[in-house]
Amino acid sequence: MITAERKPLSEIKEMIAPYRKVLVVGCGSCVAECAAGGEKEVGLLASALRMDARTEGRDLEIKEMTLDRQCVYEFIDQLTEFIDQYDVVLSLGCGAGVQAVAEVFPRAIIVPALNTTFVGETKEAGLWVENCRGCGDCKLGFFAAVCPITGCAKGLFNGPCGGSQDGKCEVDPDTPCAWQLIITRLEESGRMNLLDKVYPPADWSKQQGRGPRKIVREDQKI
Amino acid sequence: MDQKSAGLKITIFFCQRIDADQDAHRRPLEKELGSQIRFFPLPCSGRIEPLHLLRALESGADKVYVVTCAEGACRYREGNIRAKKRLAYAQGLIEEIGLAKDHLELIHVLAGTTTTIAQLAEELLAREAFVGPLPVDAPGQERQQRQL
Repeated sequence: MITAERKPLSEIKEMIAPYRKVLVVGCGSCVAECAAGGEKEVGLLASALRMDARTEGRDLEIKEMTLDRQCVYEFIDQLTEFIDQYDVVLSLGCGAGVQAVAEVFPRAIIVPALNTTFVGETKEAGLWVENCRGCGDCKLGFFAAVCPITGCAKGLFNGPCGGSQDGKCEVDPDTPCAWQLIITRLEESGRMNLLDKVYPPADWSKQQGRGPRKIVREDQKI
Repeated sequence: MDQKSAGLKITIFFCQRIDADQDAHRRPLEKELGSQIRFFPLPCSGRIEPLHLLRALESGADKVYVVTCAEGACRYREGNIRAKKRLAYAQGLIEEIGLAKDHLELIHVLAGTTTTIAQLAEELLAREAFVGPLPVDAPGQERQQRQL
């Protein structure tokens, strides 16, 4: 899941200040799960912006919409009949959603209401934790499904570093030591032999350095 | 000046478990005060969402109360604790747009007391009007000038 947090209202207001008609568009997928950009959050932000405008005596017209997914053309297409009627689109999608909408409607003005943060999981109600860096070279199979790149502050493939205390990371005592988790799980599942191997550094060229990454699947094309 | 005399528009979200006959008890007050008071019974105060609170203010309420049972007395264990957190979140949102957080207020009914929602509402209306009318007109609605 891609997580995000709402920008401060002052920043959002500054971006939409030149415009009178605002289309506020949420996304019902990842950012709804992390309570940043779903239907409820669209309603909250629209309500706050309307009240703020009335408090300041400004004329502001807002329409609220939430797409099932803001990063897929078939869903973005639902904006087609409305987009020309509004001066600006305030997107509560992740960065991918904002850019996808802008690509479909290149002449429209699209601005983000969220700061996209990380790929993570919902640990419990109200708590989301990063657990994947999207490195493009997943090694979870060797490390008992604990990512040492994301979970270990030092990103060690051949840990532990020796600095952890009581199973917690020396960099942040609130964070469990990823290598403690790896070793405990490997022990419990009888796979400690996986640590006999020395793992080479990650191939970072799969993550960065070549511009935007692409996935091409001929079998998925129409 | 009390909130009733000041003409403040009051919205009360409340856990309907605090008054088994809330429907009958609130009717006379609704008839007397008309649009000055609006009641929203909830199956549990934990059902409240920040969106309900903002929509209430946006629709013209000057003061929104969320009335819950006493802490530790929720039939569903944590409903009133959740209500408290959500109200605090909504207070943060309205402060971001420059409104006083006191436009939203949580009221815990004291443990062991038996009260009707009408009695409770009368007590709230008799309170000093510390916050004035919300400087936000509901759409298409001219707010009357009210002096505090």
